[in-house]
This record gives sequence, structure tokens and C-alpha cells, in this order.
Amino acid sequence: MIFKIADFFIGTFSGGAMAFCIHMIIPAEINMFLGMFLGGAVGMVMMLAMMLVLMPLFGAFEVMIPLHINGMLVGMASGMLTTLSSVTSNHLTILGALIGFSVSIYIYFSNKYLTQS
Amino acid sequence: MNSKKQSYDRVAKVFDFLRGGDMRRWNPHQKSLFEKLQGNVLYVGTGTGLETVNFPPNLNITAIDLSFQMLERSKTRVEKYPGHMNRCQMDAETTGFRENSFDTVVTVCVLCTVKHPVPCLKELKRVLKPEGRLVMFEHVLSRNPFYALALKTMSNLTEMLEGTYLDRHTVNNAEKAGFEILSHKNVYLDIVKALVAKPV
Repeated sequence: MIFKIADFFIGTFSGGAMAFCIHMIIPAEINMFLGMFLGGAVGMVMMLAMMLVLMPLFGAFEVMIPLHINGMLVGMASGMLTTLSSVTSNHLTILGALIGFSVSIYIYFSNKYLTQS
Repeated sequence: MNSKKQSYDRVAKVFDFLRGGDMRRWNPHQKSLFEKLQGNVLYVGTGTGLETVNFPPNLNITAIDLSFQMLERSKTRVEKYPGHMNRCQMDAETTGFRENSFDTVVTVCVLCTVKHPVPCLKELKRVLKPEGRLVMFEHVLSRNPFYALALKTMSNLTEMLEGTYLDRHTVNNAEKAGFEILSHKNVYLDIVKALVAKPV
């Protein structure tokens, strides 16, 4: 039960944290396509750092899979949206957390289906 | 082989810490799978012996690992095992045991680390009795493209750091080596699997 809650927390927290950091790192003036590319790259680097901390505590694959998907999805989406001046860091953090939570839900049901079939 | 041995010797100090999360998740699944162990058991890739707590008691186990440092660290766990267990430093691809020596061969995350999985499985088949069982707790490449992409990307890194491959097709490899899969259970997604096979 604790691991199930932890899985959702990891997905949501990592998504929010990645989006926030990408908004802080990537300048808003750059081209949207370049922003998406850089966001993906920053997301992947952050994913690796978070994995090192979380894997020994919560299990290698259970951390690696959601973080990797979040790194790409949240990274690219946040990088792209950072270039829009109307988007604030709060908006992006909430969006990142929502994407991360959705990824966790997808993995939860996927795991349920695969382990019970 | 030497580079792999060195990399496992190096990682031995932090191995228990790194696998802590996995073991907490996998213990109940391993306990249930290892109920199938019987008779003379070959425990391949012992590491620091983390799985010994999940073995049923009173088995006669030969535990092998490529890394001396790992075997050294398994000493306390092996001594605590309520049965007979002896340890040997040995390569899983060329074990040196006689043919048909064991009733059960058990592997835990071994076929993702050996350099040549099919020859290794053929070697395990050679030392396994014809009516024996191969019990595997292994991780494999997922069929889901999202998960597979993550595993393939990370495999480059894990291969470099500790010689572990995350993109192995262990079920197919076992069949190629001459085993028939008797039971196949997904433990986490379709990545971590509990498998039982018999030689054909």
C-alpha cells in the first residue's frame, strides 16, 4: 500500500519538479522548437539525478519507467510552453504535476492488467 | 569476463543499498516462486545473498557467483540459511559441474548480466537433471513501446556502469537454449517476471 502511494507521489512530484526547473533554466526568448528540444534534454538529465536518489528506496524499475516517460513528456511540453510569455512557473508546475500523475495512473492500470492476466 | 568480474567486485560495497527497494518490492513474489525449489539446488549469481531469506528451509544449495567480493559479503546470509549452502566463485557460462548434477537451478537477475545468455542457459541445462526445473526471477524487455524505449535508453547506461542489460529477451532465450516455459508470471508490468522452465 505504501509503495502504491509512493508510486503516485513519485510521478506527480517528479513531473512538477521537472516542469518548474525547466521554466527556471530555459530562457523564454528562444524559439519554441529549440525550447522543446532543450526541455527534453533537461528533463532527461533531471530524470537521471532523481533516479539515483529514488531507485534504492523505491525499486529500480518502478522508479525508472515513470521518471523516464515524465522526463520526455514533461520536459518537451514544459520546454515548449516556457517560450510562451503568458505561461508562468506556477502554470507549468501544475501542468507537469498533472502529466506526472496521469503517467502514474497509466502505469498503475497497465501493471494491474499485465500482472493479473 | 574479467572486466565484468571487476565491475561486480567494485559494486559489491553498495550492492545491498542499491537493491534495497527492489527487495522490499520483490520479497513476497520471490517467496512464492522459490517454493518450487527442491533437492540439490544451484543458485546462480548469488551476489550478496539477498534472496536467501526467501528460500524455503532444508535445501542443499550450491551458490555460485563470478565476483569474490560479492561472495564475501554473502557469508553472513549464507551462514544464517536454515539448510545447507556452500559457495563457489564460478562463471555461470562455464560452471565446471558434471552433467545432470542439480534438481533445480535458480537465477535471480542473472540472465540480464551474463555476456552470452543463450550459451549460459545451455550450460545451466547441461548441469540440470532431465526432470529438473529452471526457476528464474528476471527482468526482460517490455513489449510496450513506451516502456521498451525507457529500458533501451537506460540499458546503455547500466551496461556501462555495472554490466547489466535491460533489453534482454530472456523468455525467447530460454526457449532457444532448449527449455520449455511451464509457468510465466508478470511481477511488475511485463518487465519483471517469475518463470519456471523444464529442459526438453
